[in-house]
Amino acid sequence: MSDILGSAVEVLSAACFIAGALLALIGTLGLHRLADTRSRMHAATKPATLGVALCALGAALQLSSTSDVTKVVVIVVLQLVTSPIGAHMLGRAVDDK
Amino acid sequence: MNVAQVLAIVLLVAAAVIGIARVVRRSSLGDRAVALDALTAVITCALLIGASQADDGLMLDLAVLFGLMGFLASVTVARFIESRKDDQ
Repeated sequence: MSDILGSAVEVLSAACFIAGALLALIGTLGLHRLADTRSRMHAATKPATLGVALCALGAALQLSSTSDVTKVVVIVVLQLVTSPIGAHMLGRAVDDK
Repeated sequence: MNVAQVLAIVLLVAAAVIGIARVVRRSSLGDRAVALDALTAVITCALLIGASQADDGLMLDLAVLFGLMGFLASVTVARFIESRKDDQ
């Protein structure tokens, strides 16, 4: 039973890693493909939140010590709080056409 | 290191190369700041995957650091662009 559970956790964390990495790749591709700075920000801020959150979930499933998992939670919360603020300030600062 | 982690790292390296190309290519300061913000997210993802592979708390500390640094960098650049606009 614990064997099945262990491999299920392994598969889930692998899926999270690949989804997060794929999101990061699509986000940076969007930096080249999209037309103006604000649409590029729309592409770039997705990997900054969901991509990091998915990778963090994948890592949290595999880490063994509780303090490490707490650090992962800190990373996700920090990213969720700071990323919109930074994007907001950049969005206000970039030139209007 | 299992196949999924290697695949994810390969995807992240490709993302980093594309992001660096965006920073290096001639574009506006705002675009570069946005690209650098995306790059710090990519690096944080890679550190998280590395931490899970090594089961190591040090890499998680580095990931926290990168998250904070990315925020501070984009806020600083935003303030700089604003101040430059005021001068004109």
